[in-house]
Amino acid sequence: MNNQTVFHNPRTGETVTRIDHPSGLTIFVWPKAGYQSHYAVFGTNYGSIDTAFDLNGTHTEVPAGIAHYLEHKLFENEDCDAFQRYAATGADANAFTSFERTAYLFNGSGDITPSLEILLDFVQAPYFTEATVEKERGIIGQEIRMYDDTPGWRVFFNLLQAMYQTHPVRTDIAGTVESIARITPELLYGCYNAFYNLHNMVLAVAGNVTVEQVLSVADRLLKPAPLWQLDRPDPHEPREVGTARVEQKMTVAAPLFYFGFKHPMEGMAPLPPKEALAGEALLEILAGHSSPLYTRLMKEELINRSFGMELFDGPGYAAFLFGGESRDPEAVATAIADEADRLRRDGIDPAAFEAARNALYGTAVMSLNDVEDCGDQLMNGHFRKLAPFEELEAAAALTRDDVEALLQKSLCRERTVLSVIRPR
Amino acid sequence: MSITVFEPAEAVRVIAIPDTAERFKTAQLTVQLLVPLSEESAAANALVPFLLRRACRTFPDFPALKRELDRLYGARLTAAVRRVGEAQALYLQMTCLDDRFALNGEAVAAQCAALLCEMLFRPVLENGTFRHDDMEEERRCLLETIRAEINNKRGYARTRCTELLCEGEPYAVRASGTEAAVAALTAADVTAAWERVLRTARVQILYHGNGDGHAVAAPFVDGFCAIDRTPCDLTVTRRTTVDTRRDGEELMAVAQGKMVLGFVNTADTVDVPANRMANALFGGTAFAMLFRTVREKLSLCYYCMSSFDRLKGVGMIDSGVEADKLSVARAEIERQLALLKAGEFTDEDLENTRRYLVSQYRTVGDLQSTLIGWYDGQALEDVLQTPEEAADALLTVTREQVTAAAKAWEIACEFRLLPNGEAEEGGEGGE
Repeated sequence: MNNQTVFHNPRTGETVTRIDHPSGLTIFVWPKAGYQSHYAVFGTNYGSIDTAFDLNGTHTEVPAGIAHYLEHKLFENEDCDAFQRYAATGADANAFTSFERTAYLFNGSGDITPSLEILLDFVQAPYFTEATVEKERGIIGQEIRMYDDTPGWRVFFNLLQAMYQTHPVRTDIAGTVESIARITPELLYGCYNAFYNLHNMVLAVAGNVTVEQVLSVADRLLKPAPLWQLDRPDPHEPREVGTARVEQKMTVAAPLFYFGFKHPMEGMAPLPPKEALAGEALLEILAGHSSPLYTRLMKEELINRSFGMELFDGPGYAAFLFGGESRDPEAVATAIADEADRLRRDGIDPAAFEAARNALYGTAVMSLNDVEDCGDQLMNGHFRKLAPFEELEAAAALTRDDVEALLQKSLCRERTVLSVIRPR
Repeated sequence: MSITVFEPAEAVRVIAIPDTAERFKTAQLTVQLLVPLSEESAAANALVPFLLRRACRTFPDFPALKRELDRLYGARLTAAVRRVGEAQALYLQMTCLDDRFALNGEAVAAQCAALLCEMLFRPVLENGTFRHDDMEEERRCLLETIRAEINNKRGYARTRCTELLCEGEPYAVRASGTEAAVAALTAADVTAAWERVLRTARVQILYHGNGDGHAVAAPFVDGFCAIDRTPCDLTVTRRTTVDTRRDGEELMAVAQGKMVLGFVNTADTVDVPANRMANALFGGTAFAMLFRTVREKLSLCYYCMSSFDRLKGVGMIDSGVEADKLSVARAEIERQLALLKAGEFTDEDLENTRRYLVSQYRTVGDLQSTLIGWYDGQALEDVLQTPEEAADALLTVTREQVTAAAKAWEIACEFRLLPNGEAEEGGEGGE
């Protein structure tokens, strides 16, 4: 018997149904009237940070990059690969691995049933042999080499490696050519059995689709998952950064930088949702395009249009990051840290807060246009224990006190890292 | 989906796409100005949208303007310069929250449209030209953007291939202009470019959202009608022969080699649906011939894809491969192209490709930016084609048409970006 909960958001008129399927899988369906397209994402709470895990009390360590490798290999079964099967439905299929999750997805039009059958089938049917695993090494090796030549990627990962001392977020998502050389079919099956348990997964479907369509496939194809105990061990990441400065030389036109404030975290919990929203607003107030800091840095020719910032957070890690191109990254870093101190001292301007809150709320509403964004929000929200629309409503309700409270315990200059890529 | 198109003045076209079903939470308004792409004018024109985006007389500096946009629920203002055929397309675009969702009942879309209109026609000038500080900041940003092209190795290799493929033609002119040309500009040059663009550009105003698109576009139409205009001619010159191969290579401190092959469709006329099918079948999907062989069978690369520009009738095949295996990849690409030309693909491959493309076109209308992009890509066409019509046109494409399209593809150049042997230095910590 399926346990269904309906979430209706009067502000936007949108409705989502959550189904706690007897197989153990959580399913979300978000029908969008008037849309031709549908989007489905089948995700597991498993990403590149899961290089160690405790399954039913047994501790296991695996090579860096294995979650990403597994994502590549799951597309292939004994007869053909999933792309070939999707080709017969017209769907556009893909997958991705991030720090904290792996997801398989497709979008298409018309009847969703055949594509959904393929998705639920191949993700539940791993097939790894020595030969197929070996074949993938060349492809992923080239993917790693491609990122080695991507300065924007390198400057980011150099920062993470400097900022984090023990947390696996410091390791590249795809691993290294050396680490993936140690991946075997047995290791892939071990990770699959630990993380691809339906209790650890979610299916989110949005667009031209009904609850009945999804359930008719799910009831047929989902294989009940055994109850299991899986834990992400606490890496006991120190509050301090590992190294305050890191540099590399590459073929770039001008220095690229990332400057980050490490935010203190406890265990493997993510940032509470309210703090994450307050963090987004804080970044906008501190260094958004209407801020005094941004205006000054542009005037002093220290940044250009590539300047941006983000709140980077996940299980057991959070950092306020600023990045772009600069002739003098050290001066930019100092200016940002000084401005954070000034804000802490003088308080946040109410008008600046109001503008940032409006922008945050507007962005949250605008993101409901796209069926892919809708599906991804449901998946990400579920893994962060957020109900549908909870984030949107929290954005509308955000207060200046929320942001002030976060500011008092964050953006500390003693926990900063500056990563720079300089021209060769 | 119904669209209304009207031309209130010569070379001013308004495309209004009403969101009658209220599917979207946003409205999007784009002003697209098209002028010939040429070495002489590209740099000055390229700065125009970025200077216009900075301010208007009501909000005379960028922070004040940005605060207003934030107040309007994070309305997004974008300036851009791109190539469309052999035209330089200048864009100003605003995406904003639909009025239904404003927390205090504001008329967000109308206010955003008024702002955009003021930016376009009433920028802040000083002594008749763009202000010195604005000019210098935007010049610096554009110069740094041009110089940073080298940071993206794949994009850089594709640009170099385009320059080889269409050497001496407007298509090879960079839409942002060259570093030297941007450096030499004065505020008077860019102000004159703005005035010239308003006077001569072919204009498309695209609106997608709730409410009356014609009313939203009306102030823009009034603005253009008040100018004594002489619209320019925009044509695309196609090559139909490949006389000499133009190959090039460059050494750089990179880990992975990049190879880009440029090809020309030598047919007298481009059968667009057949070329779309041939491109997707060859290298446009995750089940295409190149993906299945160069990547999946031979494990040579992470990406190997083809693309085709219907307006110019040229295309590219690009891949990132270990330098010592570039020739192996090249041989396989040529072998697959020969198979395509010989019709050596299954009916199943053909039908799967058709199904994929039809599905992609039928869902264009589900994403506002894609839908607007669909029409701004047709700015040079006299008669607009809807995504549904493009999908229908694919339904009747035959195997023979696909083969004929591919037979007209002739490789005209190859660009290789090769490692120079200097290993990249890893990150080093230290105070």
